[in-house]
Amino acid sequence: MSKVRSKFDWSANILFVMSTSVILITFGIIQTLVFEAWNFFSELADSRGWLNIDWNFSGIFSNDGFAAIVILTAFGLERYLRNKKTVLKNLPSDLFHPNLLVKVGIWLVVLLTLFFGESLWIFLCALCTVLIWRRIANLQEATIRGGDGEVSGAWISTVTLVFGFAALMASITHGFSGALGEFFLQTEWTPSGACPDRRSLCENMSFGVNSLLLTTLQVAFGALIIAIPLGVGTAIYLSEYAHPRISAIVKPTLEILAGIPSVVYGFFAFLYIGPLVVELGSWLFENGWIDDPPNPLNPLNGAIVVGVMILPLIASLSEDALRAVPNELREGSLALGATRIETTARVMIPASLSGILASIVLALSRAVGETMAVTLAVGTVAAFTGNMFLPAQTMTAYIAQRVGGDLPFGEIGYLTIFAVGLYLFMITLALNLLGNRILEAYREAY
Amino acid sequence: MVAIDSLQPRNRRLRDVGEKSGSIALAGSAVVGLLFLLVLVWQIAAPTVVSGANGEIAGATEFIPENEFLVEWKAANWDGDSSYLTSQILIEISWDDSNGSHVETLNVRVIEEQYISADVHITESGLSENTVEVSKKEDLAIISSMNVPVKIEQISGPVPAADLTGLPEVGDFVIPAEVIVLWGEGPVFEAQELLAWISLLFLTVMLTRPIVSVLPYLERAAKQARYVKIIAAVFALGTMSFGTLSAFLGGLCWWACGVTVCRIGAGVTRLREAGREIHQTDRLLHSISNREDLLLSNRMLIVFAFLFIPLEISIPFLTERFQDGIYPYASGLRAAFYGTIWTMTIAMIVAIPISVGAAIYLEEYAEPNRITKLIQALVTNLAGVPSIVFGMFGLAVFVQQGGLGWGLGPSILAAGLTMGVMAMPIVVLASQEALRSVPSSLRESAFGVGCTRWQVVRDHIMPSAMPGIMTGSILAMSRIMGEAAPLIVVGAAAGIWFDPDPLAALDSGNPFTDFTVIPVAIYQWTGLEGEAWKSMAAAASVALIGLLVAMNSVAIILRQHFRKRLKA
Repeated sequence: MSKVRSKFDWSANILFVMSTSVILITFGIIQTLVFEAWNFFSELADSRGWLNIDWNFSGIFSNDGFAAIVILTAFGLERYLRNKKTVLKNLPSDLFHPNLLVKVGIWLVVLLTLFFGESLWIFLCALCTVLIWRRIANLQEATIRGGDGEVSGAWISTVTLVFGFAALMASITHGFSGALGEFFLQTEWTPSGACPDRRSLCENMSFGVNSLLLTTLQVAFGALIIAIPLGVGTAIYLSEYAHPRISAIVKPTLEILAGIPSVVYGFFAFLYIGPLVVELGSWLFENGWIDDPPNPLNPLNGAIVVGVMILPLIASLSEDALRAVPNELREGSLALGATRIETTARVMIPASLSGILASIVLALSRAVGETMAVTLAVGTVAAFTGNMFLPAQTMTAYIAQRVGGDLPFGEIGYLTIFAVGLYLFMITLALNLLGNRILEAYREAY
Repeated sequence: MVAIDSLQPRNRRLRDVGEKSGSIALAGSAVVGLLFLLVLVWQIAAPTVVSGANGEIAGATEFIPENEFLVEWKAANWDGDSSYLTSQILIEISWDDSNGSHVETLNVRVIEEQYISADVHITESGLSENTVEVSKKEDLAIISSMNVPVKIEQISGPVPAADLTGLPEVGDFVIPAEVIVLWGEGPVFEAQELLAWISLLFLTVMLTRPIVSVLPYLERAAKQARYVKIIAAVFALGTMSFGTLSAFLGGLCWWACGVTVCRIGAGVTRLREAGREIHQTDRLLHSISNREDLLLSNRMLIVFAFLFIPLEISIPFLTERFQDGIYPYASGLRAAFYGTIWTMTIAMIVAIPISVGAAIYLEEYAEPNRITKLIQALVTNLAGVPSIVFGMFGLAVFVQQGGLGWGLGPSILAAGLTMGVMAMPIVVLASQEALRSVPSSLRESAFGVGCTRWQVVRDHIMPSAMPGIMTGSILAMSRIMGEAAPLIVVGAAAGIWFDPDPLAALDSGNPFTDFTVIPVAIYQWTGLEGEAWKSMAAAASVALIGLLVAMNSVAIILRQHFRKRLKA
């Protein structure tokens, strides 16, 4: 039987070329951002060098050094015990399986270090110790039970190593300078410093992007604090409780909320939420809870409005996740005599946890990349303060504000927005990849 | 393990409290979004109503030393011959100077006769005239030459129609819409447009309730389908050549008429061939091919054209007034509105064909190899990239000259291309969803009878997936229409006072390449000083949301229609 050679299929090739445009766009975005950011860093490096580290080895004896040593020791212990199964088996198992009281006590210590500890690293040290402890307990249980002894949670050791290394670097250095050190590790952002020629690079400009990044994170996590309870609560209500008539009102409401342009949200925050937040802030100021009188433009304002903007995303993705849980689980739990709230809390949420997590990660990415609402609500003062009632500036707001003025191509102000944009793109890309990975994993699970 | 026997009975009251409070908390979290939406709508809608009691010239409390105050009335109140048509217009003018306080009354007679404007001067000795005649739609200027504040208040008579100082019309919205039915200052309709609209209305009624006496004529016409279509096309092009929006809609109506005639006529022929009588109109409805879709598109066209052909709706805020540098209330969105329309048009032309092609490739052609996976992953992740990053891509590629840059400058074309690139991943995802929902039995049966892959796509899959693709594209467009961030980066300017030309960037001598869009106008107006600009930003927000709702409702109507059809 002779095989008939098929004709050259024009349609397939034309359509293939169309679909490769997506690759072109992605690489175009990366290429432009990287190219201009490279120009920025090399121009900065011409005057300041690439990376200078100001060592201070005696810092190992400080609090931070102590934290670093503890974290790294915990990491090493985990690695050691993972490879030496016999040692792990012979350890007394009571050591790792405390009762509820001890557990609560440990988490209380961790939380107290967060609120009253003087250093972030000490808190991370406490957290990593607890996590590694749980990890070793799980490993031991798996080893005793037999099998190959591999349990989930390998990410804990990676995270511990990263934290330990960061704590170590923080303790044994005074600071970083040079192009990379200044951009990624300093917290002063004055890209148009006071020098005679404002357009070109001069010595008293500083480019510590952390000022913008921390405000961005402040707004994004504030938004998550508002949106997670509301969004997940809405999703649970819609999938488990709601009468069809109520969900016929709530769902279109969420769709409308998702469809309102972000600049309108920004206008609303500027006009209405800002003054409300100022009232709250001045009450706090009068009672001495905060040090400075509040400003109508502030990160809290931005967090509220961005929280409402990402609420529909969390609600719809979480509802999908909850609806994907097989009905047998829900009915089994109800048949055992659990009430609805118990079924929800102990069966439905754990079963759909990865979907809910994915929705939160994607919402975080949306919140980090949100521009107009944040520009109008948070302000244009590029100075990070812990105080959420003072004006600040996020990364996206910096780009929007900077390009709003007269911005000639190729000069330092033009280059900074690409450096900031590249950083922003990397953060959101990482979050999107993570979120989509989790989504795919749980879609396969059911 | 806890032994079953040691389980304690649960505290029922505690359990009930937990159950109740839990469900109330969940319901509460579901309602918060609704509450927020209500507050948002209330807060944005409220500032668009500019207060001013009826019969009082708003802004009269603003003092006008050495300045003009211009008012005009739309309709006459004086027949030119000693009698008032409506009521008497009395304006009270008061001021305080060194000689004490003065109160003078001015009697304004608005007459039918045209082109007579009038000035009234305020001097220390009083008004130059106490009774003044002025044509309707002409200026009455009240001019003060003293250096003291003058208060002007209308105490009786019809309210002035427009106030050229840019202060708002009294007791009115910032976005007034004028509706004229057929006859304003003379006829507002063009005869051929109205004829097209009425014929389409008649033929659409025929689609639901056929009139038996007309059907034979339609059948005879449909036998010459080609000529009917040529005539419809000629009429359509002839009407469209007038170049206004209503003429364009009239042309569409003519074309829809031609198509409907052909369909009904063919239906009648088919009915006769099946051996039935022409009187069996209930059978006729089933023999018209694709009657439901035709009905939907005709109805949508009729409703939309109704607003512009028999009625003449004009919203000066959107389509007539440019941004005014001095008087906020005289500003409008004209440049921004046309800028948005052109940007969206270019974005659609760029994004939709390529994205639909990409979606077809990914769903119908692609082998599951590494490149396909890469493309799929990139599409999913591009949809989540912040919009401002797309703006920077547009800035570096479309706006900037040199390197990768195309050197289009901050223009409509660059903005449209940027928006098109931004819309692409969204449209691809929506189209993929639509293509995936086509049942695979359709595909397999088409392959089974020997179609090539392209024939399957063109003749079988695309017709079924088209509604989904259209809905997804409209929703994607409405989503990027509200985006301001990328266009700020691309370089949308403030205070544009000319209509944007979409291809201005290609003509290097054209100085008018600047543009703006509605979201950017909202952003810029919010940043300007003064309550009045906040009001205008609120009005622009209402206009933007109105446009988005209109687009989304078209998408929703389409979705509902085709979902119903799929079920049937």
